[in-house]
Amino acid sequence: MNPLSDPLSVVFILSSLMSVIAAVLIVHHKSIVYSAFFLSVLGVGNAILFTLLGFPIIALFHLSVYVGAAVTFILFSVVMLKEAPVVEPPVKALAVIAAGVLALIMVKIFSVFSAEPSFLLNYRDLTALLVTKYWFALIVAAIALVTTLIEAITLARREV
Amino acid sequence: METSCYLFVSSILFAIGIYGLLTRRNMIRMLLSAEIIFNAALLAFLSLASLDAGYGPVGGAIVVIAISLSAAEVGVIVSIAIMMFRMRRALDVYELKKFRG
Repeated sequence: MNPLSDPLSVVFILSSLMSVIAAVLIVHHKSIVYSAFFLSVLGVGNAILFTLLGFPIIALFHLSVYVGAAVTFILFSVVMLKEAPVVEPPVKALAVIAAGVLALIMVKIFSVFSAEPSFLLNYRDLTALLVTKYWFALIVAAIALVTTLIEAITLARREV
Repeated sequence: METSCYLFVSSILFAIGIYGLLTRRNMIRMLLSAEIIFNAALLAFLSLASLDAGYGPVGGAIVVIAISLSAAEVGVIVSIAIMMFRMRRALDVYELKKFRG
């Protein structure tokens, strides 16, 4: 069957390409501000993939908390900073080899899972789990987010 | 699409993140590369969680907590980077050695 005849496959291919191209641009773009912007593009691509997997609530959470808050925080902060030099070319060649070998190993391991995902996350199941089984982790996450808020306020109030 | 396709995309993202982490010395660029790895890990985690209806909600709950903690972690690292820039006028991680007590 031609994968282009299925609309979901087309969406998968487009969002995957978007994510991978955004990831390459994050690493290679000259401007650090644009790199931070492409991180938000990667977040949007990933959110589409989460929806295709049957996790639309997680996708919305990813968009609102990760893309909407974390990446925007980086984007506004990097405006205050400047670039530092990159490592020498020999290390770069070694990094390309390391990343390639790692990708091959992961593809080999993951090729075992060939099933089709047929799952849709239920909002009630998720909230029930969060407030019963994972309540402590939820409190820790909330406290961690409050500390970030305090950091942001401290940074904003301090004179440069 | 089969789960292996999602895992393949995750592997590619992971490799790009590792490459960025190994080749950059700028603290913010290293953070951005680490965030690519984080996104790859989330995708792999949810791909595997979607295989079984019993594990799906558990995977979702863990990912929600992971995203919240990642937002907090970004705040901490960016704050350290800004502090470092104010003190040294540089973001080179090699300069971090000079911050030792």
